[in-house]
Amino acid sequence: MTDDELDQRLREGVLADEADPSRVAAAVRAGIQARRVHVRGWVVAAAAIIAMIAASALSYRAFRSEQAIPPLCSAAVQDHQREIIQGEPREWLTDPAAIRSLAQKQGVPASAIAALGSTGYRLERGRLCLLQKQIFLHLVFSKDAHEYSVYLRPPSGLFSGAVQGAGQTAYFETARVTAVFVGADAQEFARVSAKLL
Amino acid sequence: MRAEQQEFERLAMPHLAALLRVARRMTLDPSRAEDLVQETMLLAWRGFRGFKAGTNARAWLFRILVNAFRGESRKASIAARYLPPEDRLLPGQQAAAEIREALDALPIDQRTVLLLCVVEGFTSREAAEILDVPIGTVMSRLSRARQELRQNLRPLAKEAYR
Repeated sequence: MTDDELDQRLREGVLADEADPSRVAAAVRAGIQARRVHVRGWVVAAAAIIAMIAASALSYRAFRSEQAIPPLCSAAVQDHQREIIQGEPREWLTDPAAIRSLAQKQGVPASAIAALGSTGYRLERGRLCLLQKQIFLHLVFSKDAHEYSVYLRPPSGLFSGAVQGAGQTAYFETARVTAVFVGADAQEFARVSAKLL
Repeated sequence: MRAEQQEFERLAMPHLAALLRVARRMTLDPSRAEDLVQETMLLAWRGFRGFKAGTNARAWLFRILVNAFRGESRKASIAARYLPPEDRLLPGQQAAAEIREALDALPIDQRTVLLLCVVEGFTSREAAEILDVPIGTVMSRLSRARQELRQNLRPLAKEAYR
């Protein structure tokens, strides 16, 4: 038998024993489908994990920024809570001239009080208070049924010039004053005031 | 169905019958052959993105089949087992059954090279790439395989005349 005859016989013999591949084809298609679902599941899971990490990072950043306000501002927030929100009895000056006089005695220019009054916020009352063992002029302003506390003292090098803050607190320092604002929209009030002080 | 799967259906699935045919003679076990081909096709699907369009898909699939078979053989030594004997064969089928029996009795390396080159029509160079051996090895295995196949056929022929 020649090689060609042997090969021919071998081909015929093997090809005569064909098996139906339909069962394997179905299993392969099912496997591909399952893998696609599996991969899709992984993609969804990975996306969810990334979203969770991103959300956590943002929350942490927000938490840090809340936490990052200087101790002086935290003290101002507590003071505002006690004296304005809870209304603990205090002696207040309500006469603008008396408030300006008190300010000048503390080294805060009277023109600064006038400037704050020109922002659309109304000066209601004022008194001296202690924050972190430092004397501040505590002024209360109102606008749209909200009350805001503004704590002023001569420049002390506590803050940088730009308006900073988080939540209901804002603070800045200029050549004339160190200022801390507390209230519902304190940051807007502080931004407007920083240009004038 | 996604475009990628459509492409896989077009390029790979038509070779399923050939893969199964060869796998049956390599494993000598119909159900293991089906598992091996299924594994081959899923491996091919996983690596389909790396497949270069325009190259020989058939050779690529057979290479995966051979590697999967080798991997499987490493995990569990394969007991050489003949496919179930085919009884009540018609006279025309007897010769085909004999040569399959003679083929199945060959060592796996020789059997594989015969299946690739003679049955599936791969060139010696293609078979060398599929098997990852030098072309000279393919040719010497082919020569030895034909020789042993003839020897295996003789006793069967004598038996048939008994």
